Amino acid sequence: MGNKQTIFTQEQLDAYQDCTFFTRKEILRLFYRYRDLAPQLVPLDYTNKPAVTLPYELIGSMPELKDNPFRQRIAEVFSEHGDGNMTLDDFLDMFSVLSEMAPRDLKAYYAFKIYDFNNDDYICKSDLEKTVNKLTRNELTSEEVSLVCEKVIYEADVDNDGKLSLADFQHMIVRAPDFL
Amino acid sequence: IFFPGFDAEEDLIGSLADMSTKERIKAIQKLPETMRKKREIRNKVLQEITKKSRHRGAQPSCCTQCLQGAAVSFRRFGNSLSEYFHQLRIWQKTLKIIGAEFGTSVLSYFVFLTWLLNFNIFSFLINFSFITIPQFLAAEPNNLSFTGLELLTGDGYFQQTVLYYGFYTNATISKIENGPSYNMQLAYIFTVGMYFVICFLILLFSMAKYFSRNFVNPQAVSVNSSKLLCTWDFNITNEKAVKLKQKNLSTQIKEGLTEVNKEVVNFSAMERVHRVAVHLLAWAASLGTAVAACAGVYFLAINNLKLFMKGHRNDLESRAAMLVLPMIASLLNTLIPFFFSWLGHLERFQSPGQHIYVTIIRIIILKMSIVGILCYYWLNIVATYESQCWETLVGQDIYRLVLVDFIFCLLGSFFGEFLRRIIGTTFCVSLGLPEFDIGRNVLDLIYAQTLTWIGILFSPLLPGIQMIAFFIVFFVKKVSLMRNCQPPRKVWRTTQMMTSFIFLLFCPSFLGVLSVIGVTVWRLKPSEGCGPFRGLSSMYAAVTEWIQILESYTASKWVVWIYHNLISSELFFFILSSIVLIVTYLYWQIIQGRKTMTKLLRKQIIN
Repeated sequence: MGNKQTIFTQEQLDAYQDCTFFTRKEILRLFYRYRDLAPQLVPLDYTNKPAVTLPYELIGSMPELKDNPFRQRIAEVFSEHGDGNMTLDDFLDMFSVLSEMAPRDLKAYYAFKIYDFNNDDYICKSDLEKTVNKLTRNELTSEEVSLVCEKVIYEADVDNDGKLSLADFQHMIVRAPDFL
Repeated sequence: IFFPGFDAEEDLIGSLADMSTKERIKAIQKLPETMRKKREIRNKVLQEITKKSRHRGAQPSCCTQCLQGAAVSFRRFGNSLSEYFHQLRIWQKTLKIIGAEFGTSVLSYFVFLTWLLNFNIFSFLINFSFITIPQFLAAEPNNLSFTGLELLTGDGYFQQTVLYYGFYTNATISKIENGPSYNMQLAYIFTVGMYFVICFLILLFSMAKYFSRNFVNPQAVSVNSSKLLCTWDFNITNEKAVKLKQKNLSTQIKEGLTEVNKEVVNFSAMERVHRVAVHLLAWAASLGTAVAACAGVYFLAINNLKLFMKGHRNDLESRAAMLVLPMIASLLNTLIPFFFSWLGHLERFQSPGQHIYVTIIRIIILKMSIVGILCYYWLNIVATYESQCWETLVGQDIYRLVLVDFIFCLLGSFFGEFLRRIIGTTFCVSLGLPEFDIGRNVLDLIYAQTLTWIGILFSPLLPGIQMIAFFIVFFVKKVSLMRNCQPPRKVWRTTQMMTSFIFLLFCPSFLGVLSVIGVTVWRLKPSEGCGPFRGLSSMYAAVTEWIQILESYTASKWVVWIYHNLISSELFFFILSSIVLIVTYLYWQIIQGRKTMTKLLRKQIIN
């Protein structure tokens, strides 16, 4: 049914359709976007599952990500080894979560991981400070940054341990409908 | 994160294997795991399913294998079909680009515009198929001549076309002798009625959906943390927009910090009285302006009618004079909001959000009162005037209003955005590029849609005209936005915007339209000489007559029973309302109970 393509086997495409929010056409389109980043590295035949990884510099130069202040964290969160270098699987995963079809809880989960700079499963004060600096382009003084982080932790920390766990974060997201 | 113990994974696979295919796919998509892990889980689940089915049944025969293969290919077919439907959703790419360059708040205006466009397309399609096409079969010839002015004034040649109520026949159309016949009266009233019922349900469900998603208890919202962690609009990919958003966020945070440091300004009693007096004065001024505008429109309309009736000339001059009323109305609608905005600046509100809300409420009051006074004029004055066909006159009035409003919308875009950009970049550089004024544009859309809804009864093809108008407005606004405007500086509560748009569309606009249509259908006497309801005492009388005819057939006794006992019986509605009130009260109490529960649980977590 539809165009015959030779990049993936039918089972691979079915698996991708089941595991991401994308349709068949969108998966193929994303594959071509992935390939366009480095045509010499990415083969046109994925049926034998080649192990191809694109370095972070290429991913970060994509027009959708290049102006996003969190692009490095996004790439690190979705990459296999946490270094920002992404295989096609990671690539599809990232766009699937960032697409508008992903539910808010899934996005909240990954947003938490993105804001957790030191990967300790808690957003502590230093993570928040880095977030604020990225969001405001280092325009605030360090006292202001510190004050803001203290206020955020004070408001959102439900179990009073001085840092935000995933549960605190999700609790805040539920009550703040502006989260995109 | 947490290392899933082998048991946890087995439980997951077991529960996934028990679900139906659709639910299973949804659950796998939602798993917060890497793609590799998801694929492993999926394969294990599929193996589990085949294992279970092998345990359950006998050998998978040829038949079941065939069926399974057929099911898989059917699902693939369904997937590709939904892909094509997805592509049919018009302008998806354009909307994405707008969202990327200007953020979600500006995008919500365009999404609202496409939403309204769908209403009009739906109305046009059903009106055209059920009312206009049968009318073509029984059409009378049109003897009037066509001059170009008809496109603007809607009278002349158009008077004897399917555009207006007056042209439709009241006969039962049948082409073949003793063949199936088509009752135009019933078709007219049922088509319009069905459309409004469906609109009502769609609006209600959309409002409920948006309310449930976006209604935040204002006391519980934690302003700072949500501002920091939740308001980054990941949709934006334009570099300028990103920089602007960052600067905006840093300004907001700075303001927030300085507010905390500043003492809460305690106004002295004199100052408080002064502020209240200023607010009251501003409200008096705006309500007075609205009343003056309404009075002006009303007297102009009555004057118009007198001249029209007296003169009855058909030359170009008097027909062009009919355009004065719509132009004055549109002019008032365009200029007075600027006055309100200026008033709001004078009042010095405590926050910019308050200023915006108060201005929007005042503009809504102005627009709805102008529509209201026009409806009063149409239903009380025009309908009782001794003239040939009052419904067609009303239809023509509405046509002119819609058209002139559309022209003013385009002009507003030209002056408000194009010229303002030229002034802002060449003459007076401090002004800068204009911002896209979302509030005013949305209210213009709501006004236009209100007029269209009122006009459906009198001019069945009006939604088609409005549809074309909305198409053109979309493109003009989009081009103007891309060329002339900069991304908005203020951070709106973007998700609440769509909720408030739909609420404004429902509450003053749609409910008002329903009451106008209700009064027309139940109370007013249709004109004697034209239209599908000529000679009846009211438009609704067509339905009562039909019910009386049905009483003589035994096969349709149930329809008559439903009509007498459910639709026109007051006892039924009384019982229905009581049940709805009781259910609402019970839900309210459940919500209160849950709130107390959350408070208790939160205390437990902290301790």
